[in-house]
Parts: sequence; structure tokens; C-alpha cells
Amino acid sequence: MSVLELRQVHRTHGTGATIVHALRGIDLVVRTGELVAVMGPSGSGKSTLLNLAGGLDSPTSGEVVVDGTVLGSCSRKALAALRRRKIGYVFQDLNLLPSLTAAENVALPLDLDGVRGSRKQALDALSEVDLNGYGDRFPDEMSGGQQQRVAIARALIGERTLVLADEPTGALDSQTGEAVLRLLRSKVDAGAAGMLVTHDARHAAWADRVVFLRDGRVVDTSGPLDQPEELLRAP
Amino acid sequence: MSVKHGLLALLERGPMYGYQLRAAFESSTGGTWPLNIGQVYTTLSRLERDELVRPLPENETGQRPFEITDLGHAELAKWFASPVSRSDRPRDELAIKLALAITTPGVDVRAVVQTQRGAAMRTLQEYTRLKTDVGDLPWLLVLDSMIFQAEAEVRWLDHCEASLVRYEAPAAQPVDADLPRDAEVPR
Repeated sequence: MSVLELRQVHRTHGTGATIVHALRGIDLVVRTGELVAVMGPSGSGKSTLLNLAGGLDSPTSGEVVVDGTVLGSCSRKALAALRRRKIGYVFQDLNLLPSLTAAENVALPLDLDGVRGSRKQALDALSEVDLNGYGDRFPDEMSGGQQQRVAIARALIGERTLVLADEPTGALDSQTGEAVLRLLRSKVDAGAAGMLVTHDARHAAWADRVVFLRDGRVVDTSGPLDQPEELLRAP
Repeated sequence: MSVKHGLLALLERGPMYGYQLRAAFESSTGGTWPLNIGQVYTTLSRLERDELVRPLPENETGQRPFEITDLGHAELAKWFASPVSRSDRPRDELAIKLALAITTPGVDVRAVVQTQRGAAMRTLQEYTRLKTDVGDLPWLLVLDSMIFQAEAEVRWLDHCEASLVRYEAPAAQPVDADLPRDAEVPR
């Protein structure tokens, strides 16, 4: 089932001689259980694409559809609610609120919607990312990897169907970064859909598909090999 | 790496006969380097000739195990202490291909780069997929080595593409002010 769909999406900034074409006619579908990585050089439109997919920006033309809802047809209030309920974000700089505990950070999207039992759900979500017993810790009492796991728990709490990650491993060391990606992968396998923007090919390799952008266009897409066992044959 | 040193390292664990050595070798390299039994016995006879291993009496099933000698221990220690020389590796066909692509008229070099990057990325995806099923550390490290090599290729291709953009820039025609043009996206 398609969770995210971009249909002929264009995004330009400025007008006339100073116009910048950030995205030019992007068509992309991300389905349930699928993780798609977006790669490309700086300025290729990766972050613009992620912002449009998350309803944080609007296309100049074309449509962005999340879980069956055309974002452009939503009121601001409806869009905010959809972002809160359906879309999870994981950013490089985490965006955890320092004055809230891990459990409070994770429960925040539910609290904003007045959901009962949000703390229990938050503790369950923390447990799922191997942070059992960390609910009452503040972000500055946790390591970078633990904080990133809190951010992932927050991104996936409730009925989120789409998780969007922008360089989610940031400055984490290679092992911790890999643990974060394994977690993202397992969450997607468990029934979400994911889009991951990254410069790092090793991280993009956790995705089912890798979309390459250049100058605002998709120039290539790489999927699985037909016969992966061939890779293990000696030359 | 030579099969010789691989077998010496395996015999450091204890005496083994040919088929055991072949199985242990393939298991240690995650099947990335299949050996035929003939290679194993040829190598064992050379190791015996050089007094790096010695044969033991046949066991009840008629298999003759080999054990490592003191000379073998010393050779193995020397091998572990020495770096692997890059000059022993074959020429990099990809680098040569790209260099030729740049100097061959009519070749879309960025397409050549992207084709290679797509292939390297698919390889990387498959290695990563294999990694999710592996719990055995030696095999994981072999797999990680292949992952990092494939990643290095992708990074190098990214670098090539960025270099191509800069390389092409001086040859670009002046922009006609009357035509709409696409500006670079600011960062």
C-alpha cells in the first residue's frame, strides 16, 4: 500500500533571473514496509524533497499524498494534525526538548492530541528501542546514540505510518550509527514506510531502494540484485 | 593473502586434515573465497616441504591430519606482523576506464559514473542485507570489509562527479541573458 506519493512535484524558489529549480518533476512512491534512501550531491534537492514529503514545505506544482491525503488540499490545522499523527521525523540534530525527560519527549505528540495513557505508550516505545528504564532521564543524561533512539521512538509512537529521516546518524560513531539504522529498518519492516536522506552510501544501503537526485531530478534508482549470491563468488 | 598463510592460521587452532581445512577456510571467509580440495593438498605439501607443517599418523577414518611446526608459528607471526602491500593488488580497471572515458570523444562521463555508482550501491545493499542474518564475528568482519570497499568506491565516484562539474565549468558557454537559466541551489 502506498503511504507516500509524489506526483510531478516541482519546487522553485525566487522568480525571474534568480529562480532556483530545487525539484523538477519528481514522481516517487514509498509503500508500507519499504525504506527508500535519497542520495545526491549538495544542492541536488534531497532536503527539499524530504520537507515536501513531511508537509513542512509546499510544492510549486504537483501533489504530495500521505496516507491517502493530498497535503495541498488540507487546511493548516488539518495538516498540522496529520503531521503529528501520521508522520515521524528524525533529524540529525535530534530536536529533543532538553527540559523534558525521555518519556515526556516521546509522549509529546500524543499529549498535544490529548491522548490518554501517553506515558505508558512512551515507555513501551522506549522499550522497543532498547531504552527500558531510561524514561525519566533527561537528554543531557544520555549518550548521543541513546538520544537518537529516543528521537526514533518519538518519530514512531502512535499510529505513525511514515518516518522521515534526515542524516539520522549525524556525528554518531560507526557502530552506534549502524544500530540506529538497524532500528529504523526494523521499524519499517514492522509496518511503517520510511524515507532516509543521507550522504553516506553505507547508510543508504539499509534501504530497499536508493534514489539518486541531481539538479532536482531523479537520475537513477537502485534496487536489489537478481542474484545476490553472485557477489560472494571469488573473482 | 595467500592460501598458505590461511592454512597456517587455521592449523594454529590445532591439527586438521584437508577437508577440515577447506571447510574451516571457507567458513572463516564467509564463502567469499572457495577453495578446491586439490589446492588445499598442494599447499599442504609445499608447507610440509618447507617444514612449516608436519603430518601426523592417520586417524581411524584414514584421514591424515597436519600440525603446525615451530617454523610455521614463526612464519605465521611474521605474516600477521606485516602489512598487506597495495602494490600486490591488481590494477584498478575502474579508474582506468574512467580516465579513458574522459578523454574519449562522445562519452557521457557522468552517465558512466552513475552506472558504476548504481552498481556499487546495489552491491552495498546486498552486503548490508546479508549482514542482518549474520551473527558470526569473523564472517561479519569479512562482510564489513567488503561493505567499506564498496562504500569507498561510491565515495570516490561522488568525488569524480564533483570534479567533473568543476572540470567542465571553464568550457561552459556564456549564459544568454535573454534565456531563462537554472541557477544552482544555494546551501
